[in-house]
Amino acid sequence: MKRRGMWMGLLVFSLVCLLAIPCLAQRGVTKDTIKLGLILVKTGPVAALGLPNGNGMVDYLQYLNDQGGVAGRKIEVIWEDDSFEAPKSVAALKKLISRDNVLTVITTGGSQQTMANLENINQYKLPNIPNALMKEFYDPFQPYIFAMGATYEAQYETIVDYIFNDLKEKNPRIGVVYEKKEYGIKSMEAVRKRAKAYGVDLVSELVLPTGAVDASSQVLGFMNDKVDYVVTCLLLPPTITFVKTAEKYNYWPKHIFGFNWATDDMLVKACGGAAKNYIGVNFVGAWGDDSPGIKLAREIAQKYNRTDISLTSLYINGVGVSWLFGEAFKRAGKDLTPDSLKAALETLREYSTGGVFPPVTYTSKSHAPGEMVKFFKADVANKRLVAITDWRKPKEMK
Amino acid sequence: MVIRSKTFRESYYEDIKLFQTVWIRVWIFLFLILLATLPLWGNPYVIYLINLSCIAVVAALGLNLLIGYTGQISLAHAAFIAIGAYTTAILSSKVGLPFWACLFASGGVAAAIGFGLGIPCLRLKGLYLAMATMSFGVVLENVLITWDKLTGGVRGINVAKISLFGYPLDSDSKIYYFLLVITVLVILGIKNLVRTRVGRAFIAIRDRDIAAEVMGVNITAYKVMAFTISSFVAGIAGGMYGYTMGYIHPEHFTLLLSIQYLAMIIVGGLGTILGSIFGAVFIILVPELIKGIARFSELLIPALKGKYNEEWNIAAFGLLIMIFLIFEAGGLHGIWGRIKTSFKNWPYTY
Repeated sequence: MKRRGMWMGLLVFSLVCLLAIPCLAQRGVTKDTIKLGLILVKTGPVAALGLPNGNGMVDYLQYLNDQGGVAGRKIEVIWEDDSFEAPKSVAALKKLISRDNVLTVITTGGSQQTMANLENINQYKLPNIPNALMKEFYDPFQPYIFAMGATYEAQYETIVDYIFNDLKEKNPRIGVVYEKKEYGIKSMEAVRKRAKAYGVDLVSELVLPTGAVDASSQVLGFMNDKVDYVVTCLLLPPTITFVKTAEKYNYWPKHIFGFNWATDDMLVKACGGAAKNYIGVNFVGAWGDDSPGIKLAREIAQKYNRTDISLTSLYINGVGVSWLFGEAFKRAGKDLTPDSLKAALETLREYSTGGVFPPVTYTSKSHAPGEMVKFFKADVANKRLVAITDWRKPKEMK
Repeated sequence: MVIRSKTFRESYYEDIKLFQTVWIRVWIFLFLILLATLPLWGNPYVIYLINLSCIAVVAALGLNLLIGYTGQISLAHAAFIAIGAYTTAILSSKVGLPFWACLFASGGVAAAIGFGLGIPCLRLKGLYLAMATMSFGVVLENVLITWDKLTGGVRGINVAKISLFGYPLDSDSKIYYFLLVITVLVILGIKNLVRTRVGRAFIAIRDRDIAAEVMGVNITAYKVMAFTISSFVAGIAGGMYGYTMGYIHPEHFTLLLSIQYLAMIIVGGLGTILGSIFGAVFIILVPELIKGIARFSELLIPALKGKYNEEWNIAAFGLLIMIFLIFEAGGLHGIWGRIKTSFKNWPYTY
């Protein structure tokens, strides 16, 4: 009887030990490795956006490894493709956590994907910097979502400010062409609201889908309404379509404006002279900048044989995200857990990435972006974008 | 002495029995025990995939009832799933109704709209019917985006968590049982439906509608009924999807999803219950299997390391579907039937 009790006790003790092992093990971190997840589109219609972005992230982390790693640890990255579909993104996150046991997922991709994963991000404590630029991700405060760059609202407010303050227009005829997606509608509403604040109504609001191969009806509509400032709330492919169609109809508004997902050297390469009036905003530096951060991004691309980066702004963006995580790993030191990683990111104050991003500040109460952007103009002769302003924020309106 | 074959049937009622042999009951019982204990030993990711499979099985059953049993092609299935998902989202998060009411309402709203769509589509067949139903899907997507006060528009909408007698089903392993029970109920419901007069009328319409009419089948009523029941089941699947994902967006329910469901019932086997189950599980799990094989190959052949790309998976998946269409028109259900027959007749070939 006594012996039986002893065996039972031993069995219970063993079971408790077995159950305790996963609790004691640090998720995704060993003495010499840090395992990270990355969820970004690699296949499908928007693969062209995800690939350079993810390559930038992976290359910078590899660069850190080649420099000896962080606090003696090498970084492993597992990149899961979500095909830009929220259900696949959720499945990928579950796989990365339950099978691959990663420390965190450094990005969960776009707004929809991040929104679908929000509950899991909070449940598993996954500090991440998504490509989600909607205000809703930062206000109200989300404990594990860290802003990458200026929200759509801020980008378009800055554009309208530019028309009224830098170009000194009193009564501009502004037309907006947008896509019926979250970024398009949010952006169009921001332009409308900001213009109204300056006492001007939009002359025209037209829709152009991403897959469009022709923008004749939109261009002719703007010509008919005598629009002299076109604000595009479109991704890069439809922006190219619009700019080329405008050239075809010999429509030359004073300027065509665009936001970060369209402000890339590729626009000038694809449109040539048609892009001469294009001015875009972005929260990452341009590929041709002389800033130390951008120089490093170019060196990294060369080191890892990225000779054919299609969208350089997205590559820089990826480098920037990994840069911030790399710095947080250093600050967290040996005791690296999801909580210490979050705390380390929250110690960044006016942190400089050498011109890759504007200075970054996160606190324990706010992970919102600094809302700063630069303006870039097309340099048609050299087929690239050049900065025409320094970092700036939307103007405070009374 | 007369030795009766175990598949020997003397009446129509024996022929349509739910479980033909005792062994089928035993296997199903064992399979259900396996499924019931899965959360105790299964990986959470596997459970999540099974949750998705349950939703796909329910939706595929609804579509198979319309296409496989009644012969009415539809490309609006994703739209009905969307109607169900949005009804659940709105009623659970904005009105605060309990899950069972939301789920019934999801099926009910989808069925009502399916009934409405079924009437104008009565005169259409084949490609024309496919085009009409596809257009409905496009219109619905626009409604979901534009009616943002109700649907959340392009921002999407959150779905409240299920609570069962005050106990929240807030993890995959908890919601798993809920999905499993509904899936079993829907399978039994559809299986019973196709054994009744209604089911036989559906099949008669599919095989030859004029002949069916001559035999006294009210084609108008049964076609609309097929649309309504199929939409009801799709609405239930939408509700299940909403609860599982916790967040829905108009882009989750595109034409591509309708085509994916079409692929499920073709690969599984048109006009069979088991085919819908096989097809749904196949389409959900095979990409994972291919990925696993690719990773295993990398371990065996170091030269392949880092070469795997998601596009391989898509290509392999497409190839598998092509192989099915060319070499096994009966789908997975056809293969299953042949395996069963060869076991039954062993050691004889025929």
